[in-house]
Order: sequence, then structure tokens, then C-alpha cells
Amino acid sequence: MPRILSIQNFSFRYPGAQRLAVDSFDLEVDRSEIIILAGPSGCGKSTLLRSINGLIPHMYSGDYSGAVLMDGANVREESMRALAQKVGFLFQNPENQIFMFSVERDVAFGLENLGVPREEMRRRVDEAMAQLGITHLARRAPHELSDGQKQRVALAGVLAMQPGLVILDEPTSLLDPMTASELVELVDKIRRENGTTFIVVEHRLDLLVRIADRLVVMNSGKKVLDGSCWDVLTDERAEGYGLSVPAIVKLEKGLNYHDVGTSARIPTAAQLAEEVNSRTA
Amino acid sequence: MNWVAGGFIFRRTESAYHRLDPRVKLLLSILLFTLAILSRSVLELAGIIAFVLVLSGVAKILRRISRTAAFTLGFAVFIFVLNFVIGRDLLLSILYAARFVAIVVSTSLFFITTSPDELEQVMNAFHLPRDIVFAFVTAVRFIPVMLLDAIQIMDAQKSRGLEMQKGNLVRRVRNMVPVLIPLVVNSVIRSGELAEAMESRAYGAVPKPTSLNQYRSSLVDRAVAVGGVAIFAVAVYTFYFVLPTQL
Amino acid sequence: MIEFKVVTFSHPTGVTALDHVSLSIADGETVAVVGENGAGKTTLVKHITGLLKPTTGAVLVDGDDTRQRTTAELSRKVGVAFQNPDHQLFSENVEEEIAFALRNFGFPPETVKQRVDWALNFFGLEEYRKSSPLTLSGGEKKRLTIACILSWDPGVVVLDEPTVGQDVIQKERLSETVRMLKSTGKTVIIVSHDIEFLWPMQPRVIVMSRGKIIADGPASDLMLEREVLASARVSQPQLVTLYQGLKKRPAQPFVHVHDARSWLASEANG
Repeated sequence: MPRILSIQNFSFRYPGAQRLAVDSFDLEVDRSEIIILAGPSGCGKSTLLRSINGLIPHMYSGDYSGAVLMDGANVREESMRALAQKVGFLFQNPENQIFMFSVERDVAFGLENLGVPREEMRRRVDEAMAQLGITHLARRAPHELSDGQKQRVALAGVLAMQPGLVILDEPTSLLDPMTASELVELVDKIRRENGTTFIVVEHRLDLLVRIADRLVVMNSGKKVLDGSCWDVLTDERAEGYGLSVPAIVKLEKGLNYHDVGTSARIPTAAQLAEEVNSRTA
Repeated sequence: MNWVAGGFIFRRTESAYHRLDPRVKLLLSILLFTLAILSRSVLELAGIIAFVLVLSGVAKILRRISRTAAFTLGFAVFIFVLNFVIGRDLLLSILYAARFVAIVVSTSLFFITTSPDELEQVMNAFHLPRDIVFAFVTAVRFIPVMLLDAIQIMDAQKSRGLEMQKGNLVRRVRNMVPVLIPLVVNSVIRSGELAEAMESRAYGAVPKPTSLNQYRSSLVDRAVAVGGVAIFAVAVYTFYFVLPTQL
Repeated sequence: MIEFKVVTFSHPTGVTALDHVSLSIADGETVAVVGENGAGKTTLVKHITGLLKPTTGAVLVDGDDTRQRTTAELSRKVGVAFQNPDHQLFSENVEEEIAFALRNFGFPPETVKQRVDWALNFFGLEEYRKSSPLTLSGGEKKRLTIACILSWDPGVVVLDEPTVGQDVIQKERLSETVRMLKSTGKTVIIVSHDIEFLWPMQPRVIVMSRGKIIADGPASDLMLEREVLASARVSQPQLVTLYQGLKKRPAQPFVHVHDARSWLASEANG
């Protein structure tokens, strides 16, 4: 069985641009992984994301070299219709990805487009809404919802299409921390229940590192770091690449308490305090 | 601009009228509208307006329709004065004014009681191209969003010293530029983002998309439709063959 | 000096966005307003420049009742940077964009030129002088909106969610700007969710929840009150959580990572 995503020496330049937006990028992603993609503004993250779900090259053309393989199939050769069923994309602004006047119609949008028969559509819509905890909002109009609710509606619409991989483009940037952490919990739950793979672009790492398996960093179109969250965050180049390293990680690295933070997990402030207590007791 | 908003924007309400098949609601409004155009006396028009008010009562939107009618009266008076001044007969001028009010309220009745989803259903029933129907539905969905944007833009520009309430007409029009440009720019950005989202959700993948909800007309709907046409026929007969003209 | 005297604000729909809010902010203070979305933070800020007028009660800016003044007049003293730069940039070029407010406020042409030059220079935007503001990157646009405000030198600067969508480098620049504003004696009011961003500034913190102010005090005290913060759905700075978890700890919570590191290191060495 092929990897769910395999990016092989992929480069892309927009028409008329001087430099490459993405430069010789390699990435292998396994099923059910949660990967954070980070890097300073303008490093090429948006371009890379759009190359995975097919907007590049189907909607945006340019100089394209290398290969992006989604479940073994080349994105360049697959139709948007096929790709939409394999890769879901949650955009940053919750407002500009909800089209219909009612929540359940919007969740069904993709399925209507694909010509899914009514009964099956109903089932998938109800399932997606239940999973995202928005069944009670089914008949509401989008302008009556909070930003957090809108994000869930959009995500339900994406999940209803049952993609194996979901891309989230700065999903929490407009949300307050509590709502953001609820969304992050939901992502983890969906990964566990459906086995969905997630690639998340975020600046706010402190929330995501709790559930992510890997952290991949881009700079000027190139991949510069790729490893466990701990390894990457404690790399001395991390801050230079604009990563917002959580205070606890910075602190722990300086203290050399290696066994508290391992490649497996990033400790919370409370956990670090416990560790300090036990050592100075 | 509030009377426009009040008169033509859908507000979710529970009533027997709202529950009618939207095609029937459209039919009723078209019949009333046509009747208003065909009428030749003020008495008939008064009858039509009264009928609209009765339907509005059933639809529990009497207040809104009355308000729309009241605001329309202003324009109606204007039409009356204009006609009178250019030499038309007094009664004829009143007729034109009354006809205007009747037309507006019968149209308003349809729009206030029909949700955008139902509007979409009606448009699909007329086999309008999918892209047009989709563009319409999406536009309606974004009206509240754009209104909010406009307010936020005005807030931002007022905070930079822009006085929107002062100055003569020329100045005030010029002061709209810092509001209109960001509004337009934001709309363009929004369109781009929507396009990406549409593509990502396979818009246009199949020529005939399926639909989540099924729309079937019930016996009540058909009865109301037939009843409406019957009343229309009777009214036309009465207007043209029974009542004297010029009243 | 900004005062709220028992201000209540209700929307026409009946929702009460501000509920008997009273507070006063003295000149030169740095104040952070925190609370979940919908708590009333932005509503509060909009009252300062009269974008919203109180339903009951009064808001006074240097003694002027906001109901007697237009927003444009109040903005001369209180500069507000809103969250979305795309809601205000419209001029042909960056130079004109900065000049817009200056001209609205009636500055003479020579002063306008002076202030524009200063702003472009100070915020590192000189290279974009003749470029269209719409061609700037997100971070640059944010910088431009702040440059616009500082060009007319208001005594009070209000930042509404300045860190949304910003990366680490941009946030650091923002912190520096706030430090600069503080040092020149300006009153700074920041509405933000980003507790980690606010914490090192050690501002006065006003916690809002459902239209009410539920806490008001220095960050070093307030950020330790876990229940209060939780009830307003505000997160606690990581260093404070760490501080409270330690059995042995110094008198004051750690402000910066290096404070924590040196203290812990010295403890480890006995």
C-alpha cells in the first residue's frame, strides 16, 4: 500500500516570479499522522498546501517539476473531482468557505457536487455533523454562528467527503484560545476515530504540539527541519526560522532535563513543575 | 434604506403561508401582481392590497408588510404629484400611485416569506443554469457579511478622521471612496477564496448535482394554487365585466 | 484619561454587550483587555472613540463626553488599530495612505510631509513609499496601519487583536513598538487573546466576561487567579502555571524564560 502522501523533489514557480515558491521539497507522510507545517510568512507553506490538494496545478498554473503523489496517484494527472475525495482542505477564514444558507446544505455541498445519491448523502451529512457536535445547528444560517462554530461547519463539510488526508490552513488564527483548543481536540478525535491524516499549518504551536507526530519547517521554499516536535523545537535553529517555541520547551532545553521531554511528548508547565519538585526534594 | 431591507429580506417565521411550496407562493404573488397591472380602478386596487394584507396576516408578517406599504406611500405620493402636475386626470394619478403600492406589496409578500433555499428551489424548477442559481444563492448568503464589512470599514475610516456626516453633497460622495474601495477589494479577495473552496469541494464535478432535500408539493399546496387561479379568474371577470370603470 | 461611568450597552436586538461597566485609565498606563470572543472587549474599545454610544452611562475621554463628539474628533486623541488592515487600506500608494488621516485632521501640508517621512522611516516602509498598499504582505500591512496611527501622534493607542495571524518575528516587532510607545508616555490599550504575548509586558489586566469586568489588576497578581481566568475562558501564561506548580518558588512569578532558567539553575546548584 503506497504512502498516503509522497512529495518527491517538488518545485514550483508562479508565472512571472523570480524565485521558486517551493524548492526541491521532499516529504513522506504515513496514514493517520498529524503533521505540523511551520515557517515564517512567505516561506511557501500556502503554495505547498495547494499543491497537495490539486489547486496547483489545476487552478493555478506555473513552472511545475517533481511529483506529488496522493495515495500513489500523481496529483498533476488526477482530476479535481478525484482529488476532492482524497484530500480535504480547511481554509483559514471560516466565512469564505461556507456557501449555503443553511448549515446542513453546506455540509452536503461537496456531496451534491459529486452527485452522491440522496440517502447516502443524508447519512454522511448526519454523521459528519454528529462527529463535529453541530447537529443542533443543522438549520441555522451561517451568519448566526460564532467563528468556532463556522470552522466546525466547514470541517464537517470536508469530512462528509470522507478524504483520507485533511489539510488545515491556520485553522485557529481567528479563534480564542479555548475555542482553538476545542478544535484541536476535535482533530485528534477524528484522527483516532476515522484514521484521517492531517497536515496543519499553524503559528500557534503550543496547542498543536500536544497532538502532532511531526513538525516540518519550511524556509524560502525549502524544507529545513523535519522530525518529532521535541527534536525540532529544541533545535538551535528553530527560532531563527520564526518558530514560536513554547516557553516550557525553551526552559526545559536550558535545564537539560532530557528525560522529561522526549521525542514522544512535549511536557506541560504543570508536568515540568512536578519534575522540578521531584528533583529538588 | 431600512424599508427596502424590511420589505424584501427573508425572516424565518412559522406560519401556514410560509410552509407552502415556494412555487405556490411565487404563483400567488405573480397573480396579485398581474391583477394589479390589469386593474382599472382604485377600488379594485384597494381590494388587492386588502387581500395582500389578509395573506400577510396569515403569514404573521402583517407588521412588516404594513411598514413596507407605509414607506411605499411616500413614493406613491410622489408618483401621484408627478402625474397630476404633468396634466393627468386626478383619478388617473391616484390610480397610478395605488397601483405602485399594490405591486410593491405583492412582490414583497413573496420575498419576505421565501427563504434563499426556497428561492434556489424555485430557480431550479425553472431549469436556470446551475452557475447562475449558485451565484445567486451565494450572493444572498453573503449579504449580511458584506453589510458587516461595510460597517467595519466605516468604523476604521472614521477612526482616521473621516467625517461621514459633515459637508455638502459633493464632499459626502467623495468621502465614500475610502469606504467603497476596501469593500470592493475585499469582495474580490473573497471571490478568490470562495473559488478555491469551491474547487476543493468538487464544484462542477458532475453536470447534474443531486440535492439533500426533496421538494414535493402537498395536497394543500395544489389546493391553494388552484384556489388562487380560480380567485384570479373571478377577479378579472368582476373587474372587466361587472364593475363600472373609473372608480 | 479615559473613564467609563456605569456604562451599559444593548444592541437593538436586545443583547446586552456591556453590563454596568465602570473603569478609568490614567495617562501613560499600559492596559490589556482579555476575555473570550463575545465577552465585550471590542464593544468596550468601540465606546472609547464613540463608534458606539452607551445606552446608559457615559464615556469620557479627557473630560469630553463621547456622545457630544464625532468619532473623527475623538480619534485625534485616541488612535485605534483594528484587526483587519484590509478594511482600511485604499490609497494609491503608501505615502498617500499615511497622509490620509493627517489631512483629515487638518495638519498643514509641510507637517503632513514631515510626519509621513518620519512614519515611513521609523517603520521601515520607505522602500514602499510609492507602492500600492494592497501589494504589501500581511505583516507589512499591519505595520502600515500602526504607522498611520502614530503619524498623527495620539496620546492613546488602542490595538485590537494585533497578533492575529502574525508569526514570531512580526510579534517581536510588535512588542518593540509597544515598548517604544510606553517609553514615550503614551497610554496603550491592547485587546488580545495572546496571553504569552501580553505577559512579559506586565500590563494592568482587565478581564471581561459576558459584558462585565470580572477582574482588574496588575498582571503579576491577576494571572495567578486560576478560577477567575477559567471562568472567563482565558488561558494562563505557561510560566505562571509552572510557578504555581513549584513547591519552592521565589516571591514573584517568572516574567521571562531566562528568569525561570536562572532561578531553577541556582536552586539546582543548592
